[in-house]
Amino acid sequence: MKGKELKSRDIDSLFNGFLRDEGSIILGFKKDTITIGHHVFKGNIKDFSLINPFFNANGALYFRRLFSKGSRLLFVLRPCEIRAYVELIKLTQMEREGMIAISVDCPGTESVKETKGMTSLPEDIRDYFKEDTPKRWACINCREKRGVVGDGGIRLDKDFNMWIIPYTEKGEALIATLEGEWTDVPQDMAIKQDKEPEVFKTDLDMLKKDLSKCILCMNCRDMCPVCYCVDCVFNTDEYLPKGDALLNKILRTGEVDLPQGKELFHLIRMYHVSQTCVGCGACEEACPQGIPLTKYFKGISERLQGLFSYMSGRDFNEPIPYTTFKEDELKNAED
Amino acid sequence: MAESIKNKNIEIVGFACSYCSFKASEMAGSLRMKYPEGVKLIEVPCSSRVDPAFIIKALIEGADGVFVAGCHPGDCHFIKGNYYTRRKIAALKEMFNAFSIDGRLRLFWVSASEARRFVDKVTDMYNNIKEKKK
Ligand code: SF4
Ligand code: SF4
Ligand code: SF4
Repeated sequence: MKGKELKSRDIDSLFNGFLRDEGSIILGFKKDTITIGHHVFKGNIKDFSLINPFFNANGALYFRRLFSKGSRLLFVLRPCEIRAYVELIKLTQMEREGMIAISVDCPGTESVKETKGMTSLPEDIRDYFKEDTPKRWACINCREKRGVVGDGGIRLDKDFNMWIIPYTEKGEALIATLEGEWTDVPQDMAIKQDKEPEVFKTDLDMLKKDLSKCILCMNCRDMCPVCYCVDCVFNTDEYLPKGDALLNKILRTGEVDLPQGKELFHLIRMYHVSQTCVGCGACEEACPQGIPLTKYFKGISERLQGLFSYMSGRDFNEPIPYTTFKEDELKNAED
Repeated sequence: MAESIKNKNIEIVGFACSYCSFKASEMAGSLRMKYPEGVKLIEVPCSSRVDPAFIIKALIEGADGVFVAGCHPGDCHFIKGNYYTRRKIAALKEMFNAFSIDGRLRLFWVSASEARRFVDKVTDMYNNIKEKKK
């Protein structure tokens, strides 16, 4: 695979070059002395950071329903964020036209809630990789930490030299603006391919127990990058009745626990995102009640994607399984 | 599940395509074939109209079983609806497996002329669930 070596100063010239155009913006991370987080850069990339060791939300969320209208947008984000972006394109919730997505090798992240002040950010990118910080469950079990998704990737070889590699024509055009020769990228990288996930197995009692503290605030849904429906079924009285509708239901069918419909909400959401969930754990991060959601959403989605040998966000051209079919398949589906 | 739900008779919710399985059920009726009373049919314009959310809702809110019945693959009135159904239901079954929910969702292919097949399939499902509940 061909790519270019990327020195720290190249990052500046590459991205500042991109921003020179009026109407071009970059979504990445900004790090200053106080904080680090998602930031949209315009004009120049002052305080830009390739890596953010603290996770608060999946960055693909912010530009959902974006139809670029002539502007150019460059995403420089974690693999799970770029994968969500790829899924949103397939779901026609974003337009691919003016956008370029670059995934950056991710050593794993810590929950932003766990960090006690964010003042001691390592200066050097390598330290993120070396430091043995506690990681979120989603990251320990992450399926794709490598910057191998999107239009291009920024990767680290085992000696911590940085490489930028194109995966599509768009990525190639961007990287072509960078000085330096196209060379063969080393095989041996700092972050290796993850092993196949284990087959998730649980039961309803376990789910019920885990959801016992759920208050049905639906933050998990709202922060999920791929849970995009404008008219969500849970905003209606049919699925989660309130007021009169709840009273009618109780008179019709009997007693209920409140909040009513926790298992219903999570199981349906789990199915609805089953092919597009990227296992980022943004849902769990958003939950005020500390419910271990990722294990269910990631576990179920990996099982259901496995049925169709699909992996969310891996490839722009791989259709989402529920939107396509083969005539000759699933012979055992019928009972 | 609440006690009140446990003790009542078996209830099965069936989503049946109006072009085939629902017709088969009507024919079964006119031929005076019997299938268990607890089977409640809902007519849908195509089996692929059934959002798995309907199925999950039915099961979580007390149904003992749910089936989706559509035309045989290749015979869909809308050409390819049932191929999508097959994918969606196969995936939903996989999800139920992960939650150790067994045998409560079935998928049938029944054409408009197969009244006997329809009755056999739903009766078998009913008996099976009844057996497990004892
Ligand atoms: S889920 Fe994977 S890609 Fe996302 S932050 Fe964790 S390790 Fe990085
Ligand atoms: S964010 Fe947490 S408490 Fe709120 S609905 Fe989701 S799981 Fe329940
Ligand atoms: S369900 Fe959770 S883990 Fe999956 S994509 Fe949404 S936020 Fe990420």
